[in-house]
Amino acid sequence: MAFELFNRLLVCDKEITNMKAEDAAVGYEFYVQYPSYRGTYLSCIEKLEIQIDGQIIDTSRIGFYVNGKEVLVEEFPDLFREYWFILDYASVRIYGDGLKAGSKHGVHVLLRHRIPYTGYFGNYMIEDAVCEKELTVK
Amino acid sequence: MSDKKIKLGITLFSLTPYYVTKEWDLERCLKEVHEMGYQGIELVAAQMVPDYPNPSDQWLENFKALLKKYELNLITWSAYIDMGIRTDRDLTEKEIIQYTRNDMIYAKKAGARMVRTQHGITPEVYRKMLPLCKVLDMKLVIEMHSPHHPQVPVWKEYLKIMADPETEDYFGVVPDFSIFQHTPHKLAIDAFLKGGCRKEVLDTIIAMHDAGLGEEEMISGGDYTDYEKEVIADIKHRFSAPAKVEELAKLLPCTPYIHGKFHYITKDCKDPTIPYERAIEIIKKSDFHGYIACEYEGHRFDIDAKEQLSRFVSMINRLSEE
Repeated sequence: MAFELFNRLLVCDKEITNMKAEDAAVGYEFYVQYPSYRGTYLSCIEKLEIQIDGQIIDTSRIGFYVNGKEVLVEEFPDLFREYWFILDYASVRIYGDGLKAGSKHGVHVLLRHRIPYTGYFGNYMIEDAVCEKELTVK
Repeated sequence: MSDKKIKLGITLFSLTPYYVTKEWDLERCLKEVHEMGYQGIELVAAQMVPDYPNPSDQWLENFKALLKKYELNLITWSAYIDMGIRTDRDLTEKEIIQYTRNDMIYAKKAGARMVRTQHGITPEVYRKMLPLCKVLDMKLVIEMHSPHHPQVPVWKEYLKIMADPETEDYFGVVPDFSIFQHTPHKLAIDAFLKGGCRKEVLDTIIAMHDAGLGEEEMISGGDYTDYEKEVIADIKHRFSAPAKVEELAKLLPCTPYIHGKFHYITKDCKDPTIPYERAIEIIKKSDFHGYIACEYEGHRFDIDAKEQLSRFVSMINRLSEE
């Protein structure tokens, strides 16, 4: 509850960008911001689920790019030294086909995160941040 | 105002809604608080320091230059004990020491004389940080935040450590005024109403809570919806064990600064949920000379933060001068 108002930050209001390697289309990316008042360690992300136009994207197609590195969703639990600064947009890279320039898409993100300093009585607060926005492809 | 007993500070955390939306950058935050009349700032490093936990020297130098430009003192560098960083276990003692040492070193480089940490540091590790405090000539202080209060067992231990003459110049407690909050603030009340609690029922619930009735007694005495029962449980959970404001007098000898927590200050610049009047009276009679760092948390309820921060200045100035 305490973090609910930050959820709207999760999906950034920036355009979706197609990713290319020279002329070859390799997928597209959009940007996310950590939905809190402070940054966190990537190991505190317990789940990241992406839906584009209502379809869940398999994690094998997702690259999470922050601090100059791309990591897999499955690697989050081990990344307890990787800090995601609150003002840094991370890029969610979806590998596969690109999207048509100018088209609009529903981007739905669920980020489940643990608040690492909240163990007053032994249990940590776990928050589900959900944000959905319609974004245009650049 | 610098010769006054109570100095006005602010944790930049209070500016969260402006900062995380990138409406204000760090410099704008410093400019605004300077113009509002605050003299010192607390920096939540995990929030506002790029490349945390290892910021660059260039950033640190630039930060110091900004403090000078806006005539602000760095009251403290605020650190966390992020005990639950790992998924498989809590931090070990070695790790707690490492994170704390790291914060203290960067705080020193940033020009801070004090680091605020959290109760999760443990009394054992806290004692072990004393030599580093001496080397750096810095204080390492622990925030006492609701739901904790001076009678919680771990705090009895901390206060005993802080009373040791050897730690006098290096350790201390930061009472967060949330420990004195005894009843829901206006923003929580508005949220309960929005959630579906009937107004007349909520008035009765709060009156019963203020009169000291227990949860079971309250529920058995009325016809409530499931949500209203949740409201009762929430109020009883959060506001049933506030510290007595008189206990502040016992904390002040080892208090280098105070967290002036609030969620909502009324138009006539009062907080009906935290006994600021009595607390300031106690402070004025003590030997405390330091900052009350405003810590505004109402931004979680989406209202005008700047107006609230100005009202806090008016409230503290009025109470300091009465």
